[in-house]
Amino acid sequence: MKKKFAKAAALGLVAAMTATTLLAGCSSSSSSESTTAASGDTTTAAGDTTEAEKEETEASGEQVTINFPVWDLATTPYTSEMVAAFEEANPNIKVNIIDVAASEYTNKLSIMLNGGADCDVVFIKDGDTIASIAEKGQLEDLTPYIERDGFDTSKYKSFNDYNLDGKQVAIPFKTSHYVLYYNKDIFDAAGVEYPSNDMTWTEWEEMCTKLTSGEGSSKIYGGFLHTWQACVQNWAVQDGENTILGPDYTFMKPYYEMALRMQDAGTIMDYATLKTGNIAYASPFQQGTVATLPMGTWFMSQMIAKKAAGETDVNWGIATIPHPEGLEAGSTVGSTTPMGINAKSEHKDEAWEFVKFACGPEGAKFMAEAGEIPSYQDETTLETIAAIEGMPEGTAEALKTVSIVPDRPINTYSAEVNKMLEEEHSLIMIKDSSIDDVLAEMSERSKQIQGLE
Amino acid sequence: MKDNSKKKAKGLSLNVRNNLIGYSFILPNFIGFFIFIFVPVMFSLFLSFSHWDGFNPMEFAGLDNFKDIFSDKVFTSSIWKTIYFSVFTVLFSMIASLALAVLLNQKMKLRGFFRCALFFPYVASTVAVSVVFNAMFQKDYGPINEFLRFIGIANPPGWTASTDWVIPALIIVNVWRNMGYFMIIYLAALQGIDESLYEAAKMDGASGWRLFAKITWPLLTPSTFFVVMMLTINSFKVFDLVYLMTGGGPGTASTMISQYIYNQAFVSWNYGRSSAAAMILFLIVGALTVIQFRAEKKFVNY
Repeated sequence: MKKKFAKAAALGLVAAMTATTLLAGCSSSSSSESTTAASGDTTTAAGDTTEAEKEETEASGEQVTINFPVWDLATTPYTSEMVAAFEEANPNIKVNIIDVAASEYTNKLSIMLNGGADCDVVFIKDGDTIASIAEKGQLEDLTPYIERDGFDTSKYKSFNDYNLDGKQVAIPFKTSHYVLYYNKDIFDAAGVEYPSNDMTWTEWEEMCTKLTSGEGSSKIYGGFLHTWQACVQNWAVQDGENTILGPDYTFMKPYYEMALRMQDAGTIMDYATLKTGNIAYASPFQQGTVATLPMGTWFMSQMIAKKAAGETDVNWGIATIPHPEGLEAGSTVGSTTPMGINAKSEHKDEAWEFVKFACGPEGAKFMAEAGEIPSYQDETTLETIAAIEGMPEGTAEALKTVSIVPDRPINTYSAEVNKMLEEEHSLIMIKDSSIDDVLAEMSERSKQIQGLE
Repeated sequence: MKDNSKKKAKGLSLNVRNNLIGYSFILPNFIGFFIFIFVPVMFSLFLSFSHWDGFNPMEFAGLDNFKDIFSDKVFTSSIWKTIYFSVFTVLFSMIASLALAVLLNQKMKLRGFFRCALFFPYVASTVAVSVVFNAMFQKDYGPINEFLRFIGIANPPGWTASTDWVIPALIIVNVWRNMGYFMIIYLAALQGIDESLYEAAKMDGASGWRLFAKITWPLLTPSTFFVVMMLTINSFKVFDLVYLMTGGGPGTASTMISQYIYNQAFVSWNYGRSSAAAMILFLIVGALTVIQFRAEKKFVNY
């Protein structure tokens, strides 16, 4: 009797545990598609969704669902609007947006791609990572699609950057470049003229000295260099002659000297303070403690939104980014966000329809109206952006560019070199080692990463 | 299958059946272990001898990955930094938790409250701990440096903004985080010591320090062994705290082995090198554990 009971109990327990495990598995896959990036379930959920919807497609015989991973959907409301418009125009295609946190996005995307057909549209957050994705053969060559549809490529910024080894691996979607934000009230109070669209970095440094005033918590800083290495190194690559791949980094020296000089003079906030205090660029500028801020164009829409919400009352303006001596005004540094198609996707034609829509004039309109700069630009694009409510006067002028040098070149080693530069950058900025030593160290490590020794 | 031992007498077939029942109990757990731990570990061992970016076909690499990481200054320095961090974390955590346990084992008011309070850091979220400590260690107006200046230190250290002080800062946080948990272990051991031993010793005229050195400490050695081993393993594989507080910086000043493994795998997409580094970490921790087990035979008193 006892024996039988033990056996029954054991079996029962095993069954119960197995069931629980299975159920746990089910619940994770049946949970919603909008997932947080932290959990590994996202891919499973996405994968299962495809499966489920595939069955649906077979049943109804017409609707196709394509998976479209994006980052921080809430911060880019135009994405949802664009997707809705696309679905309306293409009733047989449903777009399943997979929302991932920005900080996790690049890893997540890579995991999805390695997993196979988890995503159809490949939306790449950091353009420079595309080289390693393309190298893995994960991106469909778009050339045949472009030829088949007679797709007009002439109005794109940086279109050819994504032609790797004769393959067009992606279409540029969004462009961001560096501009100079400024706080008009601080300029007025200090009696300094607003920054012009043609100004050198030396002039900017002098201007910052004039604008700096006060002490302690009421101090006004003339300038601001965010903790990214890009916010010093970008000005060194702005002329397009050198890139962050080096391997000789002596060309960065003048800009590091400028940054340290300004840090010592107190015209910019101290790197260590910003870094340890986790202070991002937005709050000091929005609180009105910073007069000029070199930052990407992505910050415009945030300023408009914050101002409309009454969270900041900064009277802001935009000017073209300062440039090195001897370079034409309007030469700037930036990056593009491209979209491609997963080579393993089962719905390539539908994904192409979406890429064409999003990266083309239709998508461009949604972006421009939201204050983002689309890579597809025609005569009206910059005007559309400048006409947005809350955009300061002279925006269209300030946004004009003569060249946009990619801040990180599209290269397999970009990501790794960039990580190294981030590490070394901090050593200069906290004044742990001399500029020369660190630049030499950067050079050595860069060679090692790229196998140049 | 110790639970079944008393039924052994009833014959082999019953024994076998009982064993099967026993196995069926551990099966769910074992399946999980096998799929999620054993297989990945073996896969990682295999990866350490291959070139793999996570997508393209793997290539056999021989010892290339190991050569690569040992010629990488960041890796070799990460080993020393891990050792530096671990030695002091283990030492100070052990001393602090033992001292607290002895203190809180005495009869005093609010004893329960203090025990709870000291255990709190261990259950607090590492993210919250990191954010708070980062603010406290702030170089110019963080409370810690404010205090140091108040007591007359003109140039307090830069803590997480200095390559020399970043690891001491991490050690402090880690010790603070660990001590509550290990205090509980010591407390349990202390309460297991028979009062009569102390009474007898007191009768013979021993007091204070002598009681501790001759009775408490020797009787605590099994717990000390456990504490030191857990602390060593934990501090060698420390990741969350460093990742959240400093991200391995400034520069690579606080890049420990785990951080290096992470960077190789998820920044550089070099699973081979990452696995090779993981194997080195495994060997180090494995060797230390063996040494400690050997030492246990010598030093643990019962």
